[in-house]
Amino acid sequence: MEPFILFGTFTFLLLIGTPVAFCLGAASLATVLYMGLPPVIVFQRLNSGVSVFALMAIPFFIFAGELMVRGDIARRLVALAGAVVGHLRGGLGQVNISASVLFGGISGSAAADATAIGGLMIPQMKKKGYSVEYGVNITVMSSIIALMLPPSHNMIIYSISAGGRLSIADLFTAGILPGLLLATTLMTTAWFVAKRAGYPTESFPGWSALGGLLLNAIPGLLLIGIIFGGVRSGVFTASESSCIAAVYALLVTTLAYRTMHWPEFVAATKAAVRTTAMVLLVIGCAASFGWLLAFLKIPAELVAFMKGVSENPLIILLMINIVLLFLGTFMDMSPLIVITTPIFLPVATAFGVDPVHFGVILVLNLGIGLCTPPVGTVLFVGCAVGKISVWDAIRTIWPFYGAAIFTLGLVTYIPALSLWLPSLFH
Amino acid sequence: EVTLKSSDTHPDGYPTVEAVKHMGKLLQESTDGRICVEVFHSAQLGQEKDTIEQTKFGVIDLNRVSMGPFNNLVEETKVVSLPYVFKGVDHMHRVMDGPIGEDILKAFEPHGYVGLAFYDGGSRSFYNRVKPIKSIEDLDGMKVRVMQSDIFVDMMSALGANATPMPYGEVYSSIQTGVIDGAENNWPSYESSGHYEVAGYYTLDEHLIVPEVLVMSKVSWDKLSPEDQEAVRQAARASVPVMRDLWQAREKASEEKVRAAGVEVITEIDKEPFMAAMDSVYEKHVTSDKLKDLVSRIRATD
Amino acid sequence: MRYVSTAALWFAGGGLILMTMFISAQVFMRYVMNDSLVWSEPASVILMGWFIFLGAAVGIREGYHLSFDVLLYFLPAGAKLALFSVSDIVVAAFGAGMAWFGTELALSAWNVKLPSLGISGAVDFLPLVAGGCLIFVFSLERLVRRAAGLPTARFGETEMEDA
Ligand code: NA
Ligand code: NA
Repeated sequence: MEPFILFGTFTFLLLIGTPVAFCLGAASLATVLYMGLPPVIVFQRLNSGVSVFALMAIPFFIFAGELMVRGDIARRLVALAGAVVGHLRGGLGQVNISASVLFGGISGSAAADATAIGGLMIPQMKKKGYSVEYGVNITVMSSIIALMLPPSHNMIIYSISAGGRLSIADLFTAGILPGLLLATTLMTTAWFVAKRAGYPTESFPGWSALGGLLLNAIPGLLLIGIIFGGVRSGVFTASESSCIAAVYALLVTTLAYRTMHWPEFVAATKAAVRTTAMVLLVIGCAASFGWLLAFLKIPAELVAFMKGVSENPLIILLMINIVLLFLGTFMDMSPLIVITTPIFLPVATAFGVDPVHFGVILVLNLGIGLCTPPVGTVLFVGCAVGKISVWDAIRTIWPFYGAAIFTLGLVTYIPALSLWLPSLFH
Repeated sequence: EVTLKSSDTHPDGYPTVEAVKHMGKLLQESTDGRICVEVFHSAQLGQEKDTIEQTKFGVIDLNRVSMGPFNNLVEETKVVSLPYVFKGVDHMHRVMDGPIGEDILKAFEPHGYVGLAFYDGGSRSFYNRVKPIKSIEDLDGMKVRVMQSDIFVDMMSALGANATPMPYGEVYSSIQTGVIDGAENNWPSYESSGHYEVAGYYTLDEHLIVPEVLVMSKVSWDKLSPEDQEAVRQAARASVPVMRDLWQAREKASEEKVRAAGVEVITEIDKEPFMAAMDSVYEKHVTSDKLKDLVSRIRATD
Repeated sequence: MRYVSTAALWFAGGGLILMTMFISAQVFMRYVMNDSLVWSEPASVILMGWFIFLGAAVGIREGYHLSFDVLLYFLPAGAKLALFSVSDIVVAAFGAGMAWFGTELALSAWNVKLPSLGISGAVDFLPLVAGGCLIFVFSLERLVRRAAGLPTARFGETEMEDA
């Protein structure tokens, strides 16, 4: 009965247009009241769900993105990118994905990537005649790349959840090829979708124009270098880099470009607060919802059911993927890693799957879950940045889901994609 | 028929998790199946600070937690979080198994918890990526990650190091890139976090030997008959030796793995200067008569 | 109402800027001075709570929370408005819960001293209480406006005002 109330209330509220955060919160509250538990638990989970230091990367990257867009950094970067790959089909889409490869190596957070790159690219794509949906879809799906490329906090969480038998260095290395593979399949998809939609291609502006655009964009390009260099050389941590990005963007726009004045600054700050508040409230309310799922042992029951179905490793992996994708549509990534690793990893290893390989499957799989409704944090970020409804985004996102799931299939059934690179270091 | 929900932040198979499961088995036998225990491991119900609140509300019945989050709530727990307060793990066992341990367990009651038993949390030592720490001078100016706790921060400052609080999940890459030079933990965590891969010097100074505690919600406790309450206490007590055996095995396995990986383990150190540096920490944190009395009683225990 | 909402937004923005300063100061102190700030992390987390819950409350008034309008496309306008009111009542109730139970949490943490900050643990929950009160009030405002036939902002429909 409890799961019925939880999911029933959630679905009902969702359908009548209640904001997603409150669908999650109110459904949790209704279930807790039905069970006779103290209601205070829902609000405690909400508060601690947002009181997580690692989440601060989200407001900072949103803030940096707003400053870059309003302070003209973004326009200059996109002008340069347009000159380099604009002649390709879906040129700005390809730039968006390539930027995620670069950026993913810095942030390790899909939500941060979606806000930073999305905030930069979506408005420009819109201006150049791309549909906003296309921009949002690409931003959302390519942000999963951030989870696969080192450094990824999620890999560390996985390693600890796995009882610490796994080398984090191996896990980091194992994610590289699958991450690049994902980038490749997404770029290919972006090309086909762009071709069908007939998106414009731009002519190559010539080398001297390119040089001028490059010079113009150097302060913006330096941001990537400063963040990457700062993290690699130990000046700041990966999550602190988000703050440095905001400060750097502010300095460049006020001192170098002189485009940032008090009204722009106030507007950027307000916009950052709005987007952050909306996204993090969903994460907080999802913490209540996820707590109830764990309390009601719903993930464990799903697994028990699945184990009874088949003994074939290929089928088991397929089922694990499906169950993870399903759970990932309702819950956020790190709690899911912590809850499902101890349950699924023994099953997977019993069927001969390498634990490092399984970590990559798990993270990619849950990453896709971040982009699927009803609780897709990254999908929400993308929609918020593009200011379109979730419904508009998922109506057109299918080719990209297809590309991601195709990549997941390859990563699942070709262990060497994950294991070959780490093996070189042994 | 009652099922007690128990929380633990450690993963399945970890000594504390297995000990509470064992306690559940004993309890089920002694009550003819009327009471059983269900362990929610891996922080499924939240981090320790949160589950402590949930235990107070009676949403969670049993909770295995570290002493740290209780320090600002139950004053007596501070005493076991003091650096070098115990002479070694055996000394800690003798203290906690005796009247002092009993007093600390009782101190939980006015705050809405029933203290049931103490488990081992191992002994914490320093590790870093720069050089073998052999004396207190080696620590000077080193950036060392500590848990967000006033005692631990003050301890690091007193040792001359730069105490750097940081979320646990960021420690690995921060040591790797040099944001910090090292951290401190016990053998199993040093191994399972993978920190030994990036911080190759481990100095066994054992500055902290902090036991962990198994508490029950007062709300849940009051629902049980006096006989059942006694059965719960007995089962919890009986789980302690099981936990200690499991802990030792786990510690040994971790140590072997770390040593095999080529980590330089420094055992020859003079702890005296380290302990002497702690005077200021004790002065600042052992303020009440209650704490002063506990410290002197611990010191007086053989 | 408009002034309350604007004040909350300014307050939240101030929190974001303060948090930026704290973290930059931490990086500077640790890397340049080799003297880490122990309070910057817990202080930032509390500030984050402030701007999330205040910003979320303003979001109720300005209608920028994400919602899912699939079913509503197929309904007549009257039914749609009735369902929006049901939504607003649910949100108001949840906001009231945030305020009420947030107060309970704050009171129970009153005597707990927060590590590194040395202030009462109640501070941890004050953003929840303040945000909850505002969410409740702004939801009631929406219900009243709708009853009076005035427009209420919804996600994806209205441009955000930049006052
Ligand atoms: Na992207
Ligand atoms: Na999802």
